[in-house]
Amino acid sequence: MSRATIRRRSRPGLAGYGLPILSFVVGIALWELICRVFKVPAFLFPPPSAIAQIYFTGRIDWIGQTLVTLNEALFGLVIGVAVGFLIALVITLSSVLNKILMPYIVALQVLPKVAIAPILYIILGFSNTSRILLIVILTFFPIVINTSTGLTDVDRNLVHLLKSLGASDRTVFWKVRLPNSLPYFFDGLKIGVSGALVGAIVAEFVSSSSGLGFLILNSQYTFNTTAAFGAFVILTVLGLVLYAGVILLGRRLMPWYRPN
Amino acid sequence: MTAIVAVKDVGKTYTTVKGDEVVALEDISLSVQKEETVAIVGPSGCGKSTLLRLIAGVEKQTDGKIERSTDDGRFVVGYVFQDSSLMRWRTVYDNIKLPLEVTNKHNYEKIDQLIEMIGMKGFEKAYPIELSGGMQRRVSIARAFVHEPSIVLMDEPFTGVDELTKEALQHELGTMIRNLHATAMLVTHDIEEAVFLSDRIFVMSRRPGRIVEEVPVKLPAERDPSMRSRLEFFEAAKRVREKLLSIRAMSVDLEAGTP
Repeated sequence: MSRATIRRRSRPGLAGYGLPILSFVVGIALWELICRVFKVPAFLFPPPSAIAQIYFTGRIDWIGQTLVTLNEALFGLVIGVAVGFLIALVITLSSVLNKILMPYIVALQVLPKVAIAPILYIILGFSNTSRILLIVILTFFPIVINTSTGLTDVDRNLVHLLKSLGASDRTVFWKVRLPNSLPYFFDGLKIGVSGALVGAIVAEFVSSSSGLGFLILNSQYTFNTTAAFGAFVILTVLGLVLYAGVILLGRRLMPWYRPN
Repeated sequence: MTAIVAVKDVGKTYTTVKGDEVVALEDISLSVQKEETVAIVGPSGCGKSTLLRLIAGVEKQTDGKIERSTDDGRFVVGYVFQDSSLMRWRTVYDNIKLPLEVTNKHNYEKIDQLIEMIGMKGFEKAYPIELSGGMQRRVSIARAFVHEPSIVLMDEPFTGVDELTKEALQHELGTMIRNLHATAMLVTHDIEEAVFLSDRIFVMSRRPGRIVEEVPVKLPAERDPSMRSRLEFFEAAKRVREKLLSIRAMSVDLEAGTP
């Protein structure tokens, strides 16, 4: 048998992207057309051309505001991931700590977390800490659940195999549990990145004087709907880039993994 | 003759979550001699896999004792599972290397030798997802032999493999056991597989699993596919089949007898 028979499955070609791109372009064109034909005022629903121009008026520091939000989101995400991973380790290694921590983790999960945003800033003040904390709360949970599943849900045969060779629990952890959890961890990270952006925006809604979330809130007060839409576009691009980054990193670190 | 494993009056009772006691194995006595291959055949759920886990020392028996002996004083098993159970994050080479790592052996040239034997040269760097089912089995077999274990335990190693691949793999496995002078214990519900690969066959009853028959296979040690049509092959297979049928008839009677 030749090596060629096990070549990795090819990715969908450009042809597969044709229809989605066409759909997107047509949608934007229709939006512009409808706005112009019915003379929709920009403060009600701005046309794409107006949104495109908003970046060049010079009145808003788009790069600066974007960096504020992105910084918060990434900082919170990193801490949330670290905390989530640690908690996952703790609850899988100790069944006692698992039982002790579980009610809090579950309570935090079922609570719509953005609800606590206004109060967080009473407790922690009008500071970065309260904003970061909200993002951490939004991101750590999927990491905890996914990673702990990955650490526990291992092939029992592999554990038997290692044990029969005299391996310690520590060896089983390093050789089986940890690598097994990697794809699960990345699934959690995918949910985490969108959570980080949600957290950053909500945190800015309730307690900030900068960032895209603050900009959107401010646009509401000044009826500058176009600026808000400008922020939406940037947020969409940020979300896409972060998500794609996680997927690319996953492919890099796990060439052996093929999601079904 | 030296017995590598001697199982004496071994029983295993499990306690279920509800607190009921389930007797999985009862009064099991058998031994496996050096460089011998022994097969255990029985209906599903008779505790065959449990017996392997007991011998491997992964679980402890509730009755009786298991004596394990070796030349170098160290009892180590090789394991082949129903599904290949490879580490998907490891390449073919690294999967086979695993037992050497865990037992702190460093004769890595053995890995290349085994890759050669299973006909997978050129695939050293491939990951399990890139391999066919048959190739994955080959890798898991190589993994079971690489550290020169005292005994290789095989738990229905070819379940779910298509018939032609299965016969090829059985032949390869038999050749490997012989060439490496290995001792092996095979658990299967495939009668032909048991006859083709082993020197002796133990037939086990339904739960609680007991040994109800020992069938010697009077074929030469050197086996090849042509022996599947020899008289001795049929005779051994017939004896095993008849015993299994009588076990089934008994349990059908029992079921019919219950109101």
